[in-house]
Amino acid sequence: MKNKLFLLVCLLAFVLVAVTPALAQDKIQIKMWIAFTDNRLDWTKDKAARFGELFPQYEVIVEGYPNYEQLFSATALAAGNDALPSIVQYFEVATQNARDSGYFKSIADAIGDRTEINGVAVALDDIIDPTTAYYTLDGKFTSMPWNTSSSIMFSNMNILKAAGVDTPPATWAEMEAVCEKVMALDNAPEYCFTWPNHGWFFEQWLAQQNQEYANNGNGRDARATSVNIASDAAVALLTWLKDMSNKGYLYYSGARDGASWGTVDQAFQSQQVAMAIYSSSDTALYTETGKQNGYEVVASFLPYNQDAEGGWTGNLIGGASLWLVDELAPEVEEGALTWLLWFNNTENAAEWHQVTGYLPIRKSSVELLNTPDWYAAIEAMGPSTVWLNNTLVQESKGKVWFEANPNFRVASDQLANSKITPATRGAILGNFPAIRSIVTTAIDTVLLTPDANIPEILAKAQENANASLTQYNTLVQRALGQQ
Amino acid sequence: MSATTPVLITTLAALIGAGLMALTFQRMARPAGVGAVVGALGGALGAQVFMLPLEYCTFASAKTIDHVIGLALVGVGMALLLWPANWIVERLRGGWRGLLIGDTQAGAFRGWLTPALLLAPTLIILLLFLYYPSLDTLWLSTRSSILGIPGTFGVCVDNFTALLNDASYLKALGNTAFITVAVVVFSMALALLIATAAYQPIKGARIYRTLLIWPYAISPVVAGVIFLLMFNPTGGIINYLLRQVGISGIRWLNDPTFAPWVVIFASVWKSLGFNILFYIAGLQNIPKDLLEAASIDGANAIQRFFRVTFPLLSPITFFLLITNTTYAVFETFGTIDYLTPGGGPLQSTETLMYRVYRVGIQNNDLGNGAAQSIILFLMVIALTVIQFRSTGRRVNYGA
Repeated sequence: MKNKLFLLVCLLAFVLVAVTPALAQDKIQIKMWIAFTDNRLDWTKDKAARFGELFPQYEVIVEGYPNYEQLFSATALAAGNDALPSIVQYFEVATQNARDSGYFKSIADAIGDRTEINGVAVALDDIIDPTTAYYTLDGKFTSMPWNTSSSIMFSNMNILKAAGVDTPPATWAEMEAVCEKVMALDNAPEYCFTWPNHGWFFEQWLAQQNQEYANNGNGRDARATSVNIASDAAVALLTWLKDMSNKGYLYYSGARDGASWGTVDQAFQSQQVAMAIYSSSDTALYTETGKQNGYEVVASFLPYNQDAEGGWTGNLIGGASLWLVDELAPEVEEGALTWLLWFNNTENAAEWHQVTGYLPIRKSSVELLNTPDWYAAIEAMGPSTVWLNNTLVQESKGKVWFEANPNFRVASDQLANSKITPATRGAILGNFPAIRSIVTTAIDTVLLTPDANIPEILAKAQENANASLTQYNTLVQRALGQQ
Repeated sequence: MSATTPVLITTLAALIGAGLMALTFQRMARPAGVGAVVGALGGALGAQVFMLPLEYCTFASAKTIDHVIGLALVGVGMALLLWPANWIVERLRGGWRGLLIGDTQAGAFRGWLTPALLLAPTLIILLLFLYYPSLDTLWLSTRSSILGIPGTFGVCVDNFTALLNDASYLKALGNTAFITVAVVVFSMALALLIATAAYQPIKGARIYRTLLIWPYAISPVVAGVIFLLMFNPTGGIINYLLRQVGISGIRWLNDPTFAPWVVIFASVWKSLGFNILFYIAGLQNIPKDLLEAASIDGANAIQRFFRVTFPLLSPITFFLLITNTTYAVFETFGTIDYLTPGGGPLQSTETLMYRVYRVGIQNNDLGNGAAQSIILFLMVIALTVIQFRSTGRRVNYGA
């Protein structure tokens, strides 16, 4: 009897497996690969499910990868086997590579002059200025912006206040003064502050000093052919970092690039440092963790070089955008565009901001969050469980979001105050991920070598970076025939 | 390069091949003329093995090093054809059947079909997942190729020669030698010591033997995480304990002096169980009468160990030497990546294996990464040959 039952179950399972794809084939499938595996993936999947309810003709299938680098490799390999999905998330520094690869279609071209697709408004002029400035190339959007962040600083106010400091420092010099007080405390933390040794911060600090990273208008007037990473602005930055490290203020974990983020989380959350320079992408996490563990977290602008000529110019964005794969079937492309626009509509962009800390990338989302009506609007759009379970969101119901959660407006304010120049728009160049790792290696050398000759180390890094860029440009020119 | 260079090289290769094979044939009492023809053919074709795909580019270069590499490749190509040719000719001495059947030992298959069928699954898998990718890597190592850009172009042997002037590559080479030797020596010595102690017949031996072997079952990544938490400079338990005795602020993972030792420590801990397992098995196989005889002859414990036990363990030691070296060179990757991602402070824990990953995958430079993995491949072949030749002879397998 048991055997027969088992056989029956097997048969049933087999039939189900055989029939399910057939049923699903009625729907047009849109596959999207993103570089998240945490609650950001859950959020995206919830949104995809909601989209399926609103547009029953489509089915959005989201697949998560552990980080940008691995997703990038997976995409390149899939392209070789004609197995690309419909939409891929590429990090901002892979923008040049995405354009050169030929895997993708410009979304401006795909949209054409339509103002709505399947009833979803296009309204790309509603995207906030710094994001538009970064992602428009030749005057058009080539990819759909999604997760946009800026680099900010989180301070453990319990420690700062104990040291008699009420507001987080704004400049490098103030940073040093605050650290002196913090480290003089009887129960001082092990270090005063830390930061991820990730190329993005080097780029931020260069932009603040209005120093372009690459030639040809930061690679935006024409293809960049050389980098300026040994400039005075870079020397000033490394001199400051080295000084802070020598004084025992700066904690450098030794981890570089993608691996560096986790070491900062660990040091700040275990309260071994008073301040952490970080990305606004995790504002929700940092604020909440502080709350749960009984310390107050305040976000502030990324400290700048008070001695730079012209003072503070501004900061650039970071994050990633969504690329539409080229040569999709017309109905799939239509569905992918509908999804991209709906996914980044006013309410969804506001919701995404609240559960992570990434910028609300629509001006209309910012307006919505400046009113107490945001809760009802997001609820009507069909929120994700991630949002419904978020304590900050639930506690702020009925209040103006930005007033109830000032940490969440810091990144927006920082970018809104930035002057848009070629330097703060951010560099576009080939082989950028590899060049970033050359930069972080140089910083590693400076911080760990006693009596490091900073200009010399940076000059050597610049030489290596230029060689890497030339290799890329030569390959693109010779193998793809592009200029 | 003039148009005559390929002709010149091929002629030279044919002449050398003819000479070598003629001598070999003469030694085997066969017509030297036939040998010369086989040799000339093998030599001429062998020269093309690498040179045709490379379009003789090494001889077109202005750099002397390229010419040297070119000549070496011609030599290797010739060997690739002449060696089998020589082997076949030797086999043919026993007639055509000798070629296919080989040694007629007891228990050998009589036909060739059954063994071929039995070997087929393994061979097909090797072909698909090992030989083909290896050849592809070899091809890639002569190209300029960046992940994410569909297209490549030939750069001759530049990916290889670039490594010679790359100080950071030579540093990684040094790191690999240091970490490998340290891991192999410490892990095996410690394992032998513990196995000797754990082998004693004491109550509960099974339980604590199991506990000793247990770390082996943990994946390198998990081992990495455990040590990362322990040695974390801020909030790690090691620094906490050290603070209790007045030592503070050791930056285990971001100080170039300490970081490689943490990697070595974690790797030794990880591989220890495996080595203990084999040493206990080896100790159990040592005949008691030999040790008793040595006792009666008046040998003390230390003498018995070094004169009887240790020599009898030599097959195990030899086996472990090879597996541990392979482990230290290739499988410490996960541990390194978790403890010191990016290759550690001042590149102090970047081994050759880790560097291939960092250059090829993280920095997307596939051509350069492929060249490095080819060099790594050659090193492993060399290491294996050396180990078999030197240690192999002194191994006592008993009778």
